[in-house]
Amino acid sequence: MTMTAVDGRSVDPLRPPAPPTGRRRVGPGVVLSVGFAAFLALACFAPGLIAPQDPAAVAPLDAFSPPSFSHWFGTDESGRDVYTRVVHGAGSSLVIGFAATAIGLVTALLLGVLAVFGGRIGDAIVGRAVEVLFAFPALLSALLVILVLGPGPVAATIAVGLSTAPGYARIIRTSLLTVRSSGYVEAARLLGHGPARILVRTILPNALSPLLALATLGVGQAVVWASSLSFLGLGAQPPAPEWGAMLASARVYLTTAWWLTVFPGLMIVATTLSATAIGRALDARGRRAR
Amino acid sequence: MRPQLSRSSAVLATAVISALALSACSSDPEPAATGPTEGGTLTYASGDAEPTCLDPHVGGNYPQALLATQFLESLVSRDADGAIIPWLADSWTVSDDGLTWEFALADGVTFTDGTPLDADAVAANIAHLQDPATQSSTGYLAVEKVTSVEAVDDLTARFTLSEPDSALLESLSQPWLAIESPAGLERGIEENCESPIGTGPFVVESWTKQDRVTLVRNDDYTSAPADAGHDGSAYLDGIEWRFIPDSASRYAALQSGEVDVIDNVQPDVLVQAEGSDSLVELDAPRPGATNRLELNSGTAPFDDVNVREAFIRSVNVDDAVSSLFQGTAERSSSPLASVEPAAYSDESLFSFDPEAAGDLLDEAGWSETDADGFRTKDGERLTLTFPVSTNQSIPAEISLFEQLQANAAEVGFDVQLELLDLASWYEALGANEYDLVSAPYTKVGPDVLRILYHSDGITPAPSGYFANHAQVDDPAIDTLLDEASATVDDAERTSLYEEAQADVLEGFYILPLYDQQNHFLLSTDVHDARALGTVSTPSFADAWLS
Amino acid sequence: MRAFIVLWASATLVFFITRLVPGDPAEAALGGPGSQASEEAVEAVRRQFGFDQPLVVQYGIAMLSLLRLDLGSSYALRQPVATILLDAVPGTLVLAVLALLVAWILAIGLTLAQSQGSRIAARIGDTLEIVASALPHFWLATILIAVFSTALSWFPPVSTGTPTGLVLPVVTLAVPIAGFLAQVMRGSLQEALDAPFATSALARGETRVGLRVRHALRHAALPALGLSAWAFGYLIGGAVVVETIFARPGLGRTLLSAITVRDIPVVTGVVLVSALVYVILTLVTDAVTRLVDPRTAVGGR
Repeated sequence: MTMTAVDGRSVDPLRPPAPPTGRRRVGPGVVLSVGFAAFLALACFAPGLIAPQDPAAVAPLDAFSPPSFSHWFGTDESGRDVYTRVVHGAGSSLVIGFAATAIGLVTALLLGVLAVFGGRIGDAIVGRAVEVLFAFPALLSALLVILVLGPGPVAATIAVGLSTAPGYARIIRTSLLTVRSSGYVEAARLLGHGPARILVRTILPNALSPLLALATLGVGQAVVWASSLSFLGLGAQPPAPEWGAMLASARVYLTTAWWLTVFPGLMIVATTLSATAIGRALDARGRRAR
Repeated sequence: MRPQLSRSSAVLATAVISALALSACSSDPEPAATGPTEGGTLTYASGDAEPTCLDPHVGGNYPQALLATQFLESLVSRDADGAIIPWLADSWTVSDDGLTWEFALADGVTFTDGTPLDADAVAANIAHLQDPATQSSTGYLAVEKVTSVEAVDDLTARFTLSEPDSALLESLSQPWLAIESPAGLERGIEENCESPIGTGPFVVESWTKQDRVTLVRNDDYTSAPADAGHDGSAYLDGIEWRFIPDSASRYAALQSGEVDVIDNVQPDVLVQAEGSDSLVELDAPRPGATNRLELNSGTAPFDDVNVREAFIRSVNVDDAVSSLFQGTAERSSSPLASVEPAAYSDESLFSFDPEAAGDLLDEAGWSETDADGFRTKDGERLTLTFPVSTNQSIPAEISLFEQLQANAAEVGFDVQLELLDLASWYEALGANEYDLVSAPYTKVGPDVLRILYHSDGITPAPSGYFANHAQVDDPAIDTLLDEASATVDDAERTSLYEEAQADVLEGFYILPLYDQQNHFLLSTDVHDARALGTVSTPSFADAWLS
Repeated sequence: MRAFIVLWASATLVFFITRLVPGDPAEAALGGPGSQASEEAVEAVRRQFGFDQPLVVQYGIAMLSLLRLDLGSSYALRQPVATILLDAVPGTLVLAVLALLVAWILAIGLTLAQSQGSRIAARIGDTLEIVASALPHFWLATILIAVFSTALSWFPPVSTGTPTGLVLPVVTLAVPIAGFLAQVMRGSLQEALDAPFATSALARGETRVGLRVRHALRHAALPALGLSAWAFGYLIGGAVVVETIFARPGLGRTLLSAITVRDIPVVTGVVLVSALVYVILTLVTDAVTRLVDPRTAVGGR
């Protein structure tokens, strides 16, 4: 009895699709994506510049105004400006997305390195560990972490991160194997570099590049999972204008106030799309470089 | 205020007019002209949590009460005006010292397993509530002063009390103290939780977990309460009692005709449904306490009455309630629900006045302001921890708390809202890690004040539970509440409770928000459903489908 | 054997995670801090569940009872965990299996449609997939109910026990996972179409459509097949949300309510069932992979 599909032999299950062949120009999609990323960066680090109002300021008598010149994205059930909240929410939303992805990648990297450089025993241990992690689906492990840490964004982030780790780990293992048997490592060794230096300077950069595209997809995913936890009442704490929490609380008013769901939802989708486009462009560049 | 119309009186057996009862209102041009039709199964969709045990003696929460109303009955009931009326007990007498009560039971009533209702059955039920193995909480507290119940004769049960209890009848009217078949109780907790046996209009046939409880008509039903629409068995063949936790799905199911009645209707849906020809609303104010914020006076910073008043003056509850509840809930300024005859309110204490709030904070020594605009004292920020149970607070209420949080921030309070699941929420309370909390408490009658504001309620049970979240520790209030509890004379009792309420309000221990209301939406095919005057659970004993 | 190790490791992990849960397990067994249990009752429960034993002993007892397939009793529901799970598993299983099937159909359709069309079609498809995979279940469910139930009255918004009641929850679960599967498949389809065997097949007179359906799709399906066991776990997670919205009995709702009252035996049970399903599915997808994979199908590697 074997479980070939999970030992990474046959396939790279989460491997991103190959980029369109033969294209070297930077497409308009990528330009748009970079533009959006710049907007997000501004929203994260200086939200006051593009949205000077206070995201928590309530105006009960202005509740549920549809989008207008004074409120571009309308107002919510407490009369708060949705545009302001979306902009100010970028920081906390992306922190969840990036931190979860980082947790997933670091865990995966440790597992991958142990699998490839830990000998047969290391590989076997990692194989089982990955299987066990796979056996705990995202929301399930999120709920377990919440059981221990109590509800909140920290628990959500850790849980979402851990649950993405096994997928990354398999890909890392495969690419580490490829890189190890390639010419660079041999060359580096001939140059007299030590094993640690080879690992950090030569192997990891080459092995990580295919992961980039996937990890960018993961950022959006993490925000989406965190929003599901908010829907279940176990996510971000008010009045933090986190996108997932905004989406979850807007669900109640979906039929009466569409703008409450549409704008935070658009932000999540746009973030995922632009992150994916950028990730793929980087991946394609990395491949050409090799 | 939404109009509360009474049922067409053609089928009213008694002169008691139930203001809670639903009529098909103005949208129905021919009210009950044809009279009730027999048959049909009503589907009820509940948004309350699914009970873990159908026997309301075990634990004792509101979801249990909702279901138990369909198949269990109590010794007495309460009509819409707050008067105690006969149910399983035809009449009762109390001795002059208030320590001995005798209940004369209705003749010829049998439980649905064939066991006759007699005085021994009543004694067995009180013993069941008092048995630690039952793990009763609500019912156990309500019969704390009962030392023994004995059968004087077959149909007369004598209760002996350790001290006078003016709330005894109100307590006994609650579904958590319903009378069950003693043979049923003897089956043990597991089996009795699955299908408790009572005398009610319906019988539990089966319980599919997470899905529904199937109830069928009790053909031999004879024991309707005094304010019921008719005597004898129900018109409906049965009730499918479904659990649909999501409020949007529940409303969609009602619109598509999957279900006939939904509860826990959200304010925006109520407003939407007002224009509908196919839906009718049934509002039933809950008795006992209002929805309120309790300010933990046991720890800093709320141990200072000035800080408590400052917080209360800093928040704009009126605007928040009217914007979020859109006219479906009334602002309250009383510790008690407005349906309680003893309710006392004082609006002047709760006016929105940020300037006065700022002055009060200055006076209390919270005069510095930090970089984020929050008040500080000795370098410490004026932080208020506010755990909120997402299982108990509806979305509109959570939004309300967010608005109060934003209001209070203007004056310099850093309110930390923490949305928690039920277990974490209890833990936060047990660990005294809260400054503000909102905890619903439903009990018939003003005796709820004793549970919520008597200093005895601060000492936690071994499990950490306590009811006096405001940690009111005032000997004057204790004395008033003790006296009221021992006073059988109605007028005197009411004035004692009013005094106690005034003290609680003037001490700024609580911020009353709005009356706790049950909102039901019904399809216009459902007629003569009503809510009982006890804890406002819906009754379908008189209901019929067209 | 490996399946057994995965199960054992999952059980061990859950055992220790649940011991980290704050609060006294004996109190949780008595209904949590909301109850008014006496000190004696807490003591009795402590003895009954063995909470007074050292951790290692407790662990040993727990593992031994698992071997006997004894999952213990629920704190809150006063029923054996096995009974609760047996009631809950079929609903979730039907939901997840159907959702996986629908997701596969959607993904294959999307992939084929795109590989035929122009670059613009591929771009649009690509964007659709990413959007689909970024849709939260609760949001999609609400939209589907608003459109197909409230506005069009085609399908009931809550479970009815009939097949029509399954449509909306299955679609809700299937769409995001279809986005994932299609992403993965399209990449490998392109690789397969660029592979030498594709050219030779065309040279043998195979049509473009035939090439895609008969040869390349097999390659493309492989990585997505490998994902199926993972996808199933994803679906069980999604079931927590979907079962709540569509009021369906199942594992997800069982887990959610068990979490909110700290009903540890039930939480453990649900996690183990999910691990078991994952292990079984891995074995099944392995077998299917061997059938589909041209390399292994033609007499092994």
